[in-house]
Amino acid sequence: MIAEDQPLIPEDAPRGAGATPGAAGVVAWREIRDNWLSGRGLALMLAYTLTLSLTTYLTATNQALTFLEQREALGLALRVAVTVGGLLVILWCADAVSGERERGTLESLLLTPTSRRSIVIGKGVSALTLWFAAYLLAIPYLWVLGRGVSRLGDVLVGGLVVGTLLALFLAGVGLLVSMWSASQRASLGLSLFLLLALHAPAMMPPAALRGWSGTLMRRLDPFTGGFPYLDQVVLTGHPIGQDAGMLTGAVVAAIALPALAVLFAARLTLLPGSRA
Amino acid sequence: MHAITARGLRKTYGRTVAVDSLDLDVEQGTVLGFLGPNGAGKTSAIRILSTVLEPDAGTFSVGGIPHTDPVRIRRRVGVLPESAGYPSSETGEEWLVYHAQLFGSPRREALSTAKRLLGEVGLPERGSSPIRTMSRGMRQRLGIARALVNNPDVVFLDEPTLGLDPAGQRQVLQLVTTIARERGVTVVLSTHLLAEVEQVCDRVLILNHGRLVSDGTVAEVASLAVGVPDRVLLNVAADQQQEALQLLLDNGIDAASASEGRLGEAFLTLTEDPP
Repeated sequence: MIAEDQPLIPEDAPRGAGATPGAAGVVAWREIRDNWLSGRGLALMLAYTLTLSLTTYLTATNQALTFLEQREALGLALRVAVTVGGLLVILWCADAVSGERERGTLESLLLTPTSRRSIVIGKGVSALTLWFAAYLLAIPYLWVLGRGVSRLGDVLVGGLVVGTLLALFLAGVGLLVSMWSASQRASLGLSLFLLLALHAPAMMPPAALRGWSGTLMRRLDPFTGGFPYLDQVVLTGHPIGQDAGMLTGAVVAAIALPALAVLFAARLTLLPGSRA
Repeated sequence: MHAITARGLRKTYGRTVAVDSLDLDVEQGTVLGFLGPNGAGKTSAIRILSTVLEPDAGTFSVGGIPHTDPVRIRRRVGVLPESAGYPSSETGEEWLVYHAQLFGSPRREALSTAKRLLGEVGLPERGSSPIRTMSRGMRQRLGIARALVNNPDVVFLDEPTLGLDPAGQRQVLQLVTTIARERGVTVVLSTHLLAEVEQVCDRVLILNHGRLVSDGTVAEVASLAVGVPDRVLLNVAADQQQEALQLLLDNGIDAASASEGRLGEAFLTLTEDPP
């Protein structure tokens, strides 16, 4: 069984001094492969596609039920794509570290000379592929719903911009929660709660967001700024640059939260009492 | 040069002291046994020395590298963690390649290292099987292969035989002996089984409540333990209890008694006075 006539360890095994360069890419590639080949990513995409198909079918065919005009139907499908894409990202990130901790595989990762930041960056990057895949899948649906709508290209670019900003923000939130959670269940629960809490102001009627408090909310909350921006592009046909100021909060959040996650990743460690 | 040196290591979790004033000097090439009951501080000590945990106090070096340079220490150590988890959907080869790459090997080299190590731990034909199809013993050997992907100077094995059947235990212990002999690496083997220590280790440390209770060869440690005012409990597998008692008797320790613990555990109690 065990060969005794040859050295156990190759003499040319790698040695070095600092953290492994390019480790974030190694982690990201492995996570991407794991996401898509293990079937979890595909299963989530299937559920997402069914949701999108149902929404598109109902809004495109059942005018009596939905009372939606074409642009409103397009806007609804775009919201579904952006929201569900963001949901997938936050769920994946919430599992990224706490899942490893719960499965007992985090310790093996921490024992490598890879910097903690590279591990977290790699996992975040892999989660973002879910958003891009989700948006790619949404494009045919948006094209069907938006046939004949002027500035459809702006709508598609606007959706990509807003969705990417929100996905970055949610990746940061999910990773931060995951790093401090001992269990997968806790991090998934807290992430979902935060997603709903952050999403709630965006669902308020426009009248509730008037005055200085409404303006502040639009500036600070990436959802409250992002979705009305999409409405301006989709419903009123504004060019994508016209209302870009509404995305200030989303841009700041998309930079700040991932940056915080990477900053705190340096302190990533085993939690007392955790399996690993 | 000492492979491991530690002075005054201390680690607490709230009010619980996991490691208390631990001093260590381990010669290069030694197979050192960390012996002690559950909660003795073995895992915490290994996690500190492998830089996964930061000590609250104290200093240490591994392979001459001070604790202030944890990344360089990680390049020099290989660890099989206690209750290590494995990604069930990956194959053993994929998992080893991934870890070799994290240590800086290009993919082709990583693949070659993975194949070689799989052969050397006795799993050449299981490299392309998903890890979920492997037995616990196979997983532990895979874990040992993972601990070797970086050609370490010091290997920490935390309870490597836990939960294995006797055949699995024998295979793992044989592997430990081979690692130590072939490469002259320093091996730190954490266990609560006296028989394993006797079979594999050159030197034994007994930890209890985070403190170093005894240090020496198996015979020396047993002799010293008798002189310690407090009782020393050695958690021994029930089916090896008689064997362990006999070993102590053969080494002149007649102040040992066997007792049943809860959950089917068995203990050997070393006391000052004969039972």
